[in-house]
Amino acid sequence: MSADTILRTDGLTCDFGALRAVNHVSLDVKGGTLHSVIGPNGSGKTTLFNLICGEVRPSAGRVYFEGREVTGRAPHDLPHLGLARCFQRTNVFPKLSVYENVWAAVFARRTPGVLGCVRRAGEFSDVDADARRVLADVGLAARSEARAETLSHGQQRALEVAVALASSPRLLLLDEPTQGLAPEATVQMTKLVQSLVGRYTILLIEHKMRIVMSISDRISVMAFGEVIAEGTPDEVRDNRDVQRAYLGARR
Amino acid sequence: MRRVALIRFVLLVAAIVVLPFCVRPVVASEICIFAIAAMALNLIFGYTGMLSFGQATFFGLAAYTAGLMMIHWHAPLLAVLAAGTLVGGVAAALIGYVCIQRVGTYFIMLTFGFNQMLYFIAYKWTAVTGGDDGLPGIPRPPFAVGPLSISLDSSLRYYGFVAVSFLLAFYAMKRIVDSPLGVIFRAIRENPGRAAAVGYDVKRYKWLAFTIAGAFTGGAGVLYSMMFGIVPLESISWIISGDIVFMVLIGGIGNLYGPLLGAAAFKWLSEAISVVWERWPLILGVALVLVVLFLRGGLVEAFTRVRDIVAGGGPRPEPDEPVSVPDAAESQARP
Repeated sequence: MSADTILRTDGLTCDFGALRAVNHVSLDVKGGTLHSVIGPNGSGKTTLFNLICGEVRPSAGRVYFEGREVTGRAPHDLPHLGLARCFQRTNVFPKLSVYENVWAAVFARRTPGVLGCVRRAGEFSDVDADARRVLADVGLAARSEARAETLSHGQQRALEVAVALASSPRLLLLDEPTQGLAPEATVQMTKLVQSLVGRYTILLIEHKMRIVMSISDRISVMAFGEVIAEGTPDEVRDNRDVQRAYLGARR
Repeated sequence: MRRVALIRFVLLVAAIVVLPFCVRPVVASEICIFAIAAMALNLIFGYTGMLSFGQATFFGLAAYTAGLMMIHWHAPLLAVLAAGTLVGGVAAALIGYVCIQRVGTYFIMLTFGFNQMLYFIAYKWTAVTGGDDGLPGIPRPPFAVGPLSISLDSSLRYYGFVAVSFLLAFYAMKRIVDSPLGVIFRAIRENPGRAAAVGYDVKRYKWLAFTIAGAFTGGAGVLYSMMFGIVPLESISWIISGDIVFMVLIGGIGNLYGPLLGAAAFKWLSEAISVVWERWPLILGVALVLVVLFLRGGLVEAFTRVRDIVAGGGPRPEPDEPVSVPDAAESQARP
């Protein structure tokens, strides 16, 4: 494993009964890069994320984060190790305010001890400052008092990203941030993701090819649970197997 | 925000002072006691999203503990109160650890199952608990700190002690929901999966909420044991568990004041109507159906709706929200 690898999966495999959703996936994500995972629907991308984040236990294989094995760690451990994720389907705290959504995620990384809870939530000025900075970052500062469920779909997607950023991760897993967004909101979200490039190491699942090709450093292509190609955007674009996976086999 | 909270608290204190002159002091005491139990359930149900149908377990265990301590050891008032609170908390920690392993209906059934188990122990173990007849002959020790000793023999004096205990419990509960725990509990209620994904050990916090609630409920049980000088078997039965759920639902969940209103309405109604009509629980049943169908925010929501109409603003855009009513949303995480 090279020194600047931040995340490595080694033969990661996941069976759901007779279905092999992920088959021997070995990824190597370098620090400071944006690494995309693309592939047709059902190719195992989200399951791969779930395996990395401990939501699903792998049938075989290992996950290493910053050189440390994290296979099978509980999901709530990972933000403390420096790994945060966004979900494909918006997954926030609907009846909490936008501010509280982010506040909760910022606070999770602090360990104030039992005595910390003698104080009021509003008295943690460092948490407050971080939460407001993240909200400004994703362009939601003006909506911070609104209840999360009242946001537009695009804003909820931005909040989804904000909640992940709030744990100041060293690796950010984004699962289709533009999913279901109208063209205009897609542009906004793309800008947001672009603004994160360089500041965070990102592992991205995305369907919109133009975005993937323009912002990725490396791309892994999945089909039927396997990585069928990996390389720079140009290499992937020219790859026969990739074209076949997307367009179907040519007779 | 702070000012609104202060005004509310002053109103609450005023209500507590006036209460024993509106209803019999005994009923006023009962209202305060069940208000403590209801706000404890609200912490796990309204804030954390787990409906416990077994709160009488902790209420009754503490009541029996207190009764036995006073009968056999003539234990002083505050020691009994502390012991009952501790017993409630420890029992909730033990039972809760099992219950929180499951969610939804299974969680409810586990809390209910433990409740039934302890009920039958209390029912059968007549040598200790008096079984069906209850545990009689409980003295009411004076309130004693150092040289100071105040007799609580009259029901009005006892109400005074109960009321002060209630206000202290309320303040403690308010500090809990205003603390980071309040935000974490509500985050778990809203979306346990995401709460885990941002780094909270969901089971641990559920366990904590359940334990805290058990301690509060235990305290309420101790106060109850001294009310009539007897611990009735009913105090550990599912009927009390149900009553507490009832109060929280009628009052409005997820709001600090809802359970208090619910407890007051429940106990006042049962007192006022049972004199006139012995089948009064029927009315409560109807009330519950109406609340669940039309007023999921309970009395608190009814209050805000009326206030909004009086203020001329018309009903709020989202009147149908059972939780996160203003108080819950405003006091958390706000400087």
